[in-house]
Amino acid sequence: MRRTGIALLLAIFALPLLAIDAAPPLADPVQQQRYQALIHELRCLKCQGETVADTQAMFGEDIRRQVREMVQSGKSDPEVRDYLVDRYGEIILLRPRWTAGNAWLWLAPAVFLLGGAWVGWRILRQRRGLLATDTSEVDEVRRP
Amino acid sequence: MNRFAIPLALFAALVLVFAVALKRAPEKQFVRSALIGKPAAEFTLPDLMNPGGTVDSRSFKGKWVLLNVWGTWCYECRAENPQLLAIRQAGRVAVVGLNYKDEDEAARQWLKELGNPFDAVAVDKEGRVAIDYGVYGAPETFLINPQGIIVHKVVSVITPDLWQTQLLPMIEGRAK
Repeated sequence: MRRTGIALLLAIFALPLLAIDAAPPLADPVQQQRYQALIHELRCLKCQGETVADTQAMFGEDIRRQVREMVQSGKSDPEVRDYLVDRYGEIILLRPRWTAGNAWLWLAPAVFLLGGAWVGWRILRQRRGLLATDTSEVDEVRRP
Repeated sequence: MNRFAIPLALFAALVLVFAVALKRAPEKQFVRSALIGKPAAEFTLPDLMNPGGTVDSRSFKGKWVLLNVWGTWCYECRAENPQLLAIRQAGRVAVVGLNYKDEDEAARQWLKELGNPFDAVAVDKEGRVAIDYGVYGAPETFLINPQGIIVHKVVSVITPDLWQTQLLPMIEGRAK
């Protein structure tokens, strides 16, 4: 029992061996946090559905190294993003930036929501009108 | 009739948007290179075929260059090799290899076995130059004009058909 427990505990402690990002954390915790945030918002172009943080593809490995080095050498987040967008295009960012070309991506949900609300409101209003004024069908049914 | 006019118009607009987007999307290429029309990154890298020497991208200025990213770990590169050999033979472009994240010895062996289609092979062991070119896999191929501007990028195997219908017309200035 006790030995099983110890074995289990060891197995749990060994879990980091399965980590995808094998590089040691950056010495500066602030930089480490920025590095983590950045690689979680970059798209792995080799695998499309994954972030650079989550992928085992070689591409992810190289981009993580690049981001790590840039953060370490004092580059700001926008500088890192610009560097990658210059080479890979906007698609590498999982969260599109606010640019003239991208604005519709951000505005479309609000436009659709307002449009839907407007249609719903019109339907409701129409129905309310029906109830208040049109009793002909009801009279029809009541007639024996 | 009137009830359906607006939804129908909206649907037609949507179809139009999709049709235009599909028409404009490059064939089978999800990611259009951000680098087309921009100067190709300069590099000086170790020379695979000449240990101790280097390959300098500047030495190809003034020529059309086909920069092919490959590795022995890439199966499709093997399929692409005969076409690259044919292109080299045709002599319209300098064919430059970027050996991407590979082992030198394996790469040399590979070229000995299949034939070497390259005027020069630069070794990018860590994939740093590849990042400058927006590379995310292999094979990828860049067509660079004599002024050093990236004209086109192919993210797949170069087939004879692709060479004839896309790349060659660009080199000969026949492309639209």
